[in-house]
Amino acid sequence: MPPDYTEEEEFEAKYTGKTFRRIVGLLRPHWKMVLSFLALIAVVSGIDALFTYLSKLIIDRGIMAGDTSELYRLLSYYGGMIVLQAIFVFGFIYAVGVLGERVRYDLRQKMFNHLQDLSLSYYSRTPVGWIMARVTSDSDRVSDLVSWGILDLVWATTNILTSVGFMFYINWRLALIVMLMVPIVTFVAIEFRRRILKQFRVVRKINSKITGSYNENITGVRVVKALVREEENAKEFAELTGDMYKAAYRAAWLSALFLPSVQLIAAVALGTIAWYGGWQAGLGGVTVGGIQAFISYVTFMMWPIQDAARIFAEMQHAIASAERIFSLTDAVPEVADRENAIDPGTIQGDIEFEHVTFYYEDNIPVLKDFNLKVKRGETIALVGPTGGGKSTIVNLACRFYEPKEGVIRIGGTDYTQFTLHAIQSRIGVVLQTPHLFSGSVRENIRYGRLDATDAEIEEAAKLAGAHDFIIKFDKGYDEPVGEGGNNLSVGQKQLISLTRAILARPEIFVMDEATSSVDTLTEALIQRGMERLMQGRTSFVIAHRLSTIKRASRILVIEDGQIAEMGTHQELLRLRGKYYTLYTRQFRHQMEEVLDPFAGAAESAPVPAD
Amino acid sequence: MSISASVLNFDLKKTAVSNRLKGLWRMMSGFRWHYLGATLSLGVAALAKTSTYLLLSYFVDHYFGNGTRPVALPLIALGFVGLAMVEGGFSFLSGRLTAQTAEGITRRLRNYLFDHIQHLTYTYHDKTQTGELIQRCTSDVDAVRRFFADQAIGVGRIILLFTINFVAILNLHPRLGLVSIIAVPFVVVTSAFFFRRVSKAYQAFQEQDAILTTTLQENLSGVRVVKAFARQAFEKEKFERENWEKFLRGKKLTRMHSLFWPASDILCGAQLMVGYIVGALMVIHGEITIGTFLAYLGLVGWIIWPMRNLGRLIVQTSTGMVSFGRVSDIIKQEREPLDEGETLPAADLRGELTFENVGFHYEEGSPVLQEISFHCRPGQAVALLGSTGSGKTTLVNLLPRFYEYTSGRILLDGVELKRYSRRYLRQQIGIVEQEPFLFSRTIKENITYGVGRDVPQAEIEAAAKAAAIHDVILAFPDGYDTLVGEKGVTLSGGQKQRVAIARTLLKNPRILILDDSTSSVDTETEAEIRDALDTLMRNRTTFIIAHRIQSIMNADLILVLDKGRVVQRGVHEELVAQDGIYRQIYEIQTRIEAELEKEITNAS
Repeated sequence: MPPDYTEEEEFEAKYTGKTFRRIVGLLRPHWKMVLSFLALIAVVSGIDALFTYLSKLIIDRGIMAGDTSELYRLLSYYGGMIVLQAIFVFGFIYAVGVLGERVRYDLRQKMFNHLQDLSLSYYSRTPVGWIMARVTSDSDRVSDLVSWGILDLVWATTNILTSVGFMFYINWRLALIVMLMVPIVTFVAIEFRRRILKQFRVVRKINSKITGSYNENITGVRVVKALVREEENAKEFAELTGDMYKAAYRAAWLSALFLPSVQLIAAVALGTIAWYGGWQAGLGGVTVGGIQAFISYVTFMMWPIQDAARIFAEMQHAIASAERIFSLTDAVPEVADRENAIDPGTIQGDIEFEHVTFYYEDNIPVLKDFNLKVKRGETIALVGPTGGGKSTIVNLACRFYEPKEGVIRIGGTDYTQFTLHAIQSRIGVVLQTPHLFSGSVRENIRYGRLDATDAEIEEAAKLAGAHDFIIKFDKGYDEPVGEGGNNLSVGQKQLISLTRAILARPEIFVMDEATSSVDTLTEALIQRGMERLMQGRTSFVIAHRLSTIKRASRILVIEDGQIAEMGTHQELLRLRGKYYTLYTRQFRHQMEEVLDPFAGAAESAPVPAD
Repeated sequence: MSISASVLNFDLKKTAVSNRLKGLWRMMSGFRWHYLGATLSLGVAALAKTSTYLLLSYFVDHYFGNGTRPVALPLIALGFVGLAMVEGGFSFLSGRLTAQTAEGITRRLRNYLFDHIQHLTYTYHDKTQTGELIQRCTSDVDAVRRFFADQAIGVGRIILLFTINFVAILNLHPRLGLVSIIAVPFVVVTSAFFFRRVSKAYQAFQEQDAILTTTLQENLSGVRVVKAFARQAFEKEKFERENWEKFLRGKKLTRMHSLFWPASDILCGAQLMVGYIVGALMVIHGEITIGTFLAYLGLVGWIIWPMRNLGRLIVQTSTGMVSFGRVSDIIKQEREPLDEGETLPAADLRGELTFENVGFHYEEGSPVLQEISFHCRPGQAVALLGSTGSGKTTLVNLLPRFYEYTSGRILLDGVELKRYSRRYLRQQIGIVEQEPFLFSRTIKENITYGVGRDVPQAEIEAAAKAAAIHDVILAFPDGYDTLVGEKGVTLSGGQKQRVAIARTLLKNPRILILDDSTSSVDTETEAEIRDALDTLMRNRTTFIIAHRIQSIMNADLILVLDKGRVVQRGVHEELVAQDGIYRQIYEIQTRIEAELEKEITNAS
C-alpha cells in the first residue's frame, strides 16, 4: 500500500517542537556515543579548515620566503595532520553509522514489542501495510536523521564557522565580501531544493502509477488478450511514460542547473576577491598564500550552505515519520490486564454471557443484550449468515475484545478479573484460514506449547492425523513450510494448525471452520482431529460442515446479533424454521461436493452426514 | 525536447544480443548524438575549470610577483566570472542532454516492455511469475536508467577530467605531471576493491532486511494466532534475534565504509604531499613561478579526488549491466503475432465449428487434449463437463488461438482456424469467467473495456440492465464512475461476473465462452446470473465450461471430458439414458433429495 503523499504533507507542520524533543530523546541511552561523534566531527571540520591555513603558511613562509627548513617543518605538520585526520574520519563515520543502526534497532524493537500488546481492535482499523511502513521506512528515516542528519548539520555549522573565523583572521575586509555572498547562496539553494524536491515527488507519484499499470496489465493479461485491448493499453501507458519523461527530465535539469548556479555566485565572490586582493597586493595587504586560502575557503563553504537546504527538507520528512511512529507507540491497548488481575490456575467451568452488547468502531451494535450460558464440556455450534455476529461471540469468548456492556463470566467470575495470559494461554484456537510462520513443520506445531518434546509433537500430529503426510516430506518434521506456509496445501495447513491446537492442551477450544473444500480424505482427518479436541472441552465452533453441526450439544442460529434459534439438531429441524432452510441448502451443497464423480471414488466416498 | 516518433518506436528487439555492451549501444539508438553532446559539453566545462586555475596562476604571477601588469584587474575578475559561466553553462547543457538520453531511453524501454509483455504468448505467462516480471520492468529498468544517467557519463567525466588536467599539468611542467599520477592506480584499485566488498556486505544486509520484513509481516498477519496462543513474548524474542542480526550486519557495513574513506584520504593526501614538496622546491629553485605552483595545486585535486569515485562507478556499472541482461531476457521472447493470418472474411461470421481429431500438448509426450472431434451449428450451445484438469479450459482456449492446437484441425465456418488472424478471432469471441478480472478503473470503463469505440451512456446502461447489474451500480457512491478495486468498491464474485456479462454484451461477439465451473453458494444471485447469461447466449454459438448438470441440461451438445478425451457426448436425454459419468451426476441429485428426506424424517 503506497502511502499517499498529500497525506504525508499534512502531517508535517504539527507539533514539530515536541516531536523533535522526543526524537532527541531516542539518543539518550546512547549519549556517550553521541557526545563522542559530536566531538569527533567538530575536530574533523576544524582540521579541515586548518589544512587550508597551513597551506597559506607553507606558501607565505616557506615558498615565498624561500625558507626550505621552514617548508619541511610545515610539510611534516601537514603530513601528520593527514594521518590524524584519517583516524578521526574513521572514528566519526564508524560512530555515526553504528549509532544510526542502533537507533534503528531500538525503534523497530520498541514498535514491535508495543504491537504485540495492542488489541485486535487496533489491527482491525489499521492496515498491515501501514504498520509495516512505520516499522521499516519510517524508522530508517528517523534514525538517519539522528545520525547522518545531525552529522551533516554539525559538520556544516562547524565548517562554516571555522572557515569564517580563519577568513576574518587572515583579512577581515575580504571576509566581509565573502559574507555578502552567504545569504544569496542560501536563498538560491533553498529555492532550488524546494522545486527539485517537489519535482521528484511528482516523479515518484507517476512512478508508482507506472508500477501499478505493469502490475495490472500483467495480472490481467488474459483479459487484455481476450478483448484485444493491446493497442489502446499501449497508448494509455505511453501517455503515462510521456508524463514521466517530462517530470523526470524537469527534475534532472533543475538539479543540473543547481550546482552551476551556486558555483557562479562563488565565482563572483572569487572575482571580487581577485580584484580587491590584486589591488591590495600592490599595497602589501594580502599575500599569495592569503589569496589561495580565501579561494579554498570560499569553495569549501559553498558545499555545506547548499547542502543545508537538503538537510532541512529531509529533517521535515523525518519529523513526519517520527510523528507516525509515535502515534503507533502511543496507541493504548483496549484490552489489557486490570490492576490486581489474577491467574486462577484454570479456566474450566461454565461460561456465561450476561446482557452483552458489543460494537466495533462504527458504533453499530453487532451484539445486542446477548445472553448465553454454556456448561462446562458443552460443544456450541454457531451458524447463521455472514455478519450476523458469530465471529464476534467467539472473539469475545477469547477476550480478543471485551464487552462494551454486560459481563462475561468464566466459572462464575467476571473474566476481566483474570489476566489475559491466564485466559489466552488456555484457549486453543483454529482459524478459518490457517496461519503458519516460516520455519519447519516442527517449529510451527511447537508454537502450541513451546516446551513440548519431539515425541509429544509427533503424538499430537498422530492425534490430528497429520503425522502420515508429514513423514512423507523429504525432511519429515523439519520440512520448511515456506513463507506463510505456502509450500503446503490448504488441507495440510489446516491439519497442522489443528495439531498445534491439540499440542496446546487447551481448556477451551475455539474453531472457525474453513469453508474452502479440501479432498475427502483430508476432510475426514480434520473431522476426526476436531472430535478429539472437543472431547471433554468447552468448545465454540463456527460451523460449516454438517457433521460438526450435528455433533454439537447445542446449535445457535445467530442473526443480527441475537440468537434466532437454539437447540439440538433434531429440535431445530422439527421447528422447520431458519435452521431448517439453512441445513437443507447446506446439505444439498455438501452432498453435491461429496458425491461429485469427478472428485474420484464417488461411490465409496463416505457421507459425512452420518 | 520533443522526441520524434521514429526514435520512440525504434524496435528494441535489436538490443537483445549476447554482447551486453553492444546491446546497450543499440539501446542508445536515436540518442547517440545527445550523449556525445553531453560528453563534449562536459569536456568544455572541464576545460573552463582548468582555465580558471591557469587564470589564477597568471593573476598571482603578475600581481603578486614583480612582473608587468598587461591585463587590468577588473578584466581578470570578469575572467573568473566568465569562466564560471562557461563551466556552469556547459555542465548544465551536459546535464540536460544526459537527462534527455537517459529519460528518453527509459521511456522507450518502458513502453516497449509494456507492449511486448502483453503480446507474449499464453504459454509464457503461464510459466512466468508476475512479481518477477514486474520487478524486471521496474527496478531493473531503473538500473538501466541509472547506467545512462549517472554511471556511464560519470566514468566519462572522470576520464575527461583526468586527461584534461593531466595534459594541463604536463604543460605547466613535465616533472609535475609525472609526480601527480603516482597514487592514481592505487586509489582506483582500492576503491574498486572496497566497493566490491561493500556491495557484498550490502547484499547480506539487504537479505537480513528481507528476513526481518517477513518476520514482521507474518507476525502482523498472524496476530490472531499470536494472541490465541499468548505467544507475545516468544514473538518479541524471535523478532529481537533477527533485528539484532540486522544491526550486526549494518555495523559491518558501516565498518567497511568507515575504513574506506580514511584509507583513500591517506592515499590522496600522500599524493598531494608529494606534489607539494616537489612543487614547492621547484618554486624555491626558481624552476616554476608561484602562480604555476598554485595552478598545479588546484589542478591536481581534480585528478585525484574524482578517482575515488571511479571504483564505485565501475562496480555500479557492472550491476547496471546485469539488470540490462535481465531486461534483455524479456525482450528476447518471441511475440505472438496478432495480425498474422489470411484477410478477414467478407461476410459476418456465422459461428459454425468443426473439431477434427484435435490434439494439444505443451510438451511432447504429455498430451493435454487428444482426438477431440465434434461439430456445432451456428447459435448452438456446447457444454463441456469434466473435472479440473480434464482439458475443458484448454479446449476453449484454442478458439481465440491463445494456444495453437498441435494436431488435427478446427474449422470455423468451414475455414481452418489458423487462417484467421488472432485479432479477428478474439474480436469475435466473448469470454465470461466465473470470477472475472476487473481493472482498477471505473465501472463504466470496465464495461466498455475492449469494446474499441465510444459507447454512449444509454447503451452502457442498457447492457448493465440486461446483465442485471444496473441497480447494484446505481447503489454505489459514484454510480457508473465508481472505482473498482483497492481504491474503490470491492465487488463480490457474482457482481464481477455480471459486469463481465455487460462488457461482453457490448462487445457483441459471435462466439461465447462461459466458465461456470464452480457453483456460487448465494442462491439469489445465482438466479440473476442465470437470467443474464440466458440473454447473453441468445443467437450466439456458446461454449459452457461446467461442473454441474443444472446449468447445461438445455445444451445442444454435451461433451463429457476426462483426461483430455471426450468420453461421452450427446444431449441431456440421450446421456441420461446411457450408462456413464453423466448419469451418475444426474442421479446424485435425486439421491440427495432422498437422503435429505430421510434425514428430516429421522429427526422428527
